Amino acid sequence: MPELSVVLAGLGDAIAPGTILFVLFGVMLGQFVGAVPGIGPVMATAIAIPFTFYMEPLAAIGFLVGVNKGGLVGGAIPAVLLNTPGTPDAAATAMDGYPLAKQGKPLKATKMALFSSVTGDTFSDIVLITVSAPLAVLALRMGPVEVLGVMLLAFAVIAGLMGRSLVKGVIAVALGLLAAMVGTDPEHGTPRLIFGEFRVYDGLPLASVAIGMLAIGELLRRLSESTGAVRPAVALPEGQPRADRSVSWAEYWACRFTLARGAVIGTILGALPGIGSTAAAFMSYASARQAAREPSEFGKGSLHGIAATESANSSVMGANMIPLLTLGIPGSVSAALIISAFMIHGVQPGPFLFEQQGRLIYGLFGAMVIANLLNLLVGQVGLRLWVRVVTAPESFIFAAALLMCFVGVSLATGGLFGVGVMLAFAALAYVMTAFGLSVVVFIIAFFLGPRLEISLSQTLALLNGDPLALVNYPVALALFGLAGVTAVALARRRDTESETR
Amino acid sequence: MSGRILRALAAATALFAAGAAHAEWEPRGSLTLQIGFGAGGSTDTLGRIVAEKMEEQTGWNIVVENRPGGGGIAMFTGIANRPADASVIGLGVNMPILVNLVNRPDEIPFDLDSFTYLGTAAKAELGLFTRAEAPYDDVPGLVEHARQEGGAAIAFDAKPQELAMRYVARQEEGVEFQFLSTKGGSEITQLVLGGQAAAGFFAGEQFPFLESGELKMLASFNATRHGYAPDTPTLQEQGYDIYVDPFWFFATTAGIDDQAREALVSAIDAALSDEEVQKLVQNTLRSPVFNAGPEETEKMVKQGLDTVAQLFAQ
Repeated sequence: MPELSVVLAGLGDAIAPGTILFVLFGVMLGQFVGAVPGIGPVMATAIAIPFTFYMEPLAAIGFLVGVNKGGLVGGAIPAVLLNTPGTPDAAATAMDGYPLAKQGKPLKATKMALFSSVTGDTFSDIVLITVSAPLAVLALRMGPVEVLGVMLLAFAVIAGLMGRSLVKGVIAVALGLLAAMVGTDPEHGTPRLIFGEFRVYDGLPLASVAIGMLAIGELLRRLSESTGAVRPAVALPEGQPRADRSVSWAEYWACRFTLARGAVIGTILGALPGIGSTAAAFMSYASARQAAREPSEFGKGSLHGIAATESANSSVMGANMIPLLTLGIPGSVSAALIISAFMIHGVQPGPFLFEQQGRLIYGLFGAMVIANLLNLLVGQVGLRLWVRVVTAPESFIFAAALLMCFVGVSLATGGLFGVGVMLAFAALAYVMTAFGLSVVVFIIAFFLGPRLEISLSQTLALLNGDPLALVNYPVALALFGLAGVTAVALARRRDTESETR
Repeated sequence: MSGRILRALAAATALFAAGAAHAEWEPRGSLTLQIGFGAGGSTDTLGRIVAEKMEEQTGWNIVVENRPGGGGIAMFTGIANRPADASVIGLGVNMPILVNLVNRPDEIPFDLDSFTYLGTAAKAELGLFTRAEAPYDDVPGLVEHARQEGGAAIAFDAKPQELAMRYVARQEEGVEFQFLSTKGGSEITQLVLGGQAAAGFFAGEQFPFLESGELKMLASFNATRHGYAPDTPTLQEQGYDIYVDPFWFFATTAGIDDQAREALVSAIDAALSDEEVQKLVQNTLRSPVFNAGPEETEKMVKQGLDTVAQLFAQ
């Protein structure tokens, strides 16, 4: 623990007007760019990095933290308002957010997302600032075998999202894994399923697949349904009662257990490098549904559903900084981008970071807390603006969103090839939907597939052909068991639900 | 007008034209710097730092584009098949290109003669590291450890690293390594510090852990020792005749005209010689700027092909 004077000096740096201004600018940019369909928080941060080359270190890092956190809030906006999520996490938010928006309560839905996101984010920041050291030890103990256990658990959770037909659910998972296999195989380093196309040598571009399947398919469907009559993209009834425009304290408080569960799941998974927010968002959603008194409300605009996913995926981001700041290991792409900003300024993350750069780190902590507050404030204003924007005629909104998806994917993947992949997957999503196969299940399997495969390959290398060596990994065995139990329990629950329907 | 004056005028015009051609070549419109990796990584940062300085120094309009895919294969495929107008240059890493040219030459739509080489940016200092308390201090020690324990897990993130260790294992009787394929340096750090791997490959991420005394170095896997660790021998010096020498280089389409080539070479060199750029690059890559110049770059890339072929000839 550094001296109090260092802590205070760092926090003092954080509340200097210059720093606050850069954080504010970052949050605004992040929320705006994140809310543009097709560009998520990771993309927003990557775009922002070159701006920071010649900035002061704390201003640069505060700015990027602002962009990242703003992007988290912004990413939920198109998902909720237009049902056009750009990432799998946002797809989880759309499952309940969009139905609520469709009921004429877009402001309520986006506000719940904002409050849940800031709640989860603040929780994981507090954990980061106060007790990051023990969690860092946990991160080191979780080797490949244990991570494989977590991945299996995540796949088990998908069972709860499959819908009525087990066969169709399994087909969607299998297709997602097949798409995840395109690219270099981690075991032998040889290209797989690339058919001579070296642009997919590192795998299909994530942004193209996610946006193509989740956003483009929906946009095309809605555009094709427009009849020529001028209709707003989202209907906002005139003279709406206040209860439908905002989230009351009672409503927020009723979600406290859901929010807490999501924040804890997100923080733990975020502290483990490489697992990512997709697993956290869906695990939180599934467990909230499991714990709910009225699980049938989920998917129809439940505030709990929004609270579960947004609190979990936002808390992952703060927790990703735990292994980064304590061990020097970035837990995710966003954390790796922030590390690169550290490094450009000559700050080397690692075991001595707190000793050598205590002032900067406490400045960063201060900036994170400030960014959360600003996120709330900017969000309160910004959401009204976005909701107002989407009440424009749908022919404008959907066409503009479509254009943004093209631009975002082309930026993220470096050209038109990524756009082509996006369109191919939009077509696939259309076909899958026509056959009743879940696109969301496909996407989760696609995003989790590579990590599952790498953990499996590492586990097999460590076991070295001896399955009995698994007894040396009791935590992993427990996770395998839990995954089995979860899969069976969720599948049974699905059966009973579909019978009662 | 007399013939003499006409001749003089013609001569003057010719001189003027020659002078103009001699003057600085400039890209028509803008110059595009393509980066063979995605946004946000170390190669991306390197490219953007250099591009920004080049733009400032030359006044050219420089556009930076990411062309990820196959560690630069996708980008260099595009560059090799462009018209040779020097409007697009690429920044890539030699190793992934060479590995693919050795293993699947028929599938790669270019060879090493498809490019005009413009210079290198830096060399990656690749080494094998382990936890400080490990009971071995060099590669022969690790080999002995693996022999006694019935194996040792090695964490790596690029095929040549694995092959170099397989080469080591083949020189010895009854030694086997388990290879943990990873997505990069941060995962290797986690595996080595967490004790799941007996040793791992690092090209920069190790510095804070060397300083804190949590990691120690077993060998340099480059052809030379590392600048920061002059006392740790290379793998070759430890008796295994193989090395891996990754470096970043700039290239454009083959057959561009000499003036364009010269202008690009000197623009890249000027940007890399800038002090501010050198500091930022050192911070980002954790190895110093190193520009071998165009001829030497071409030689290094082509020689690398033999080394990589030797790695895979197993």
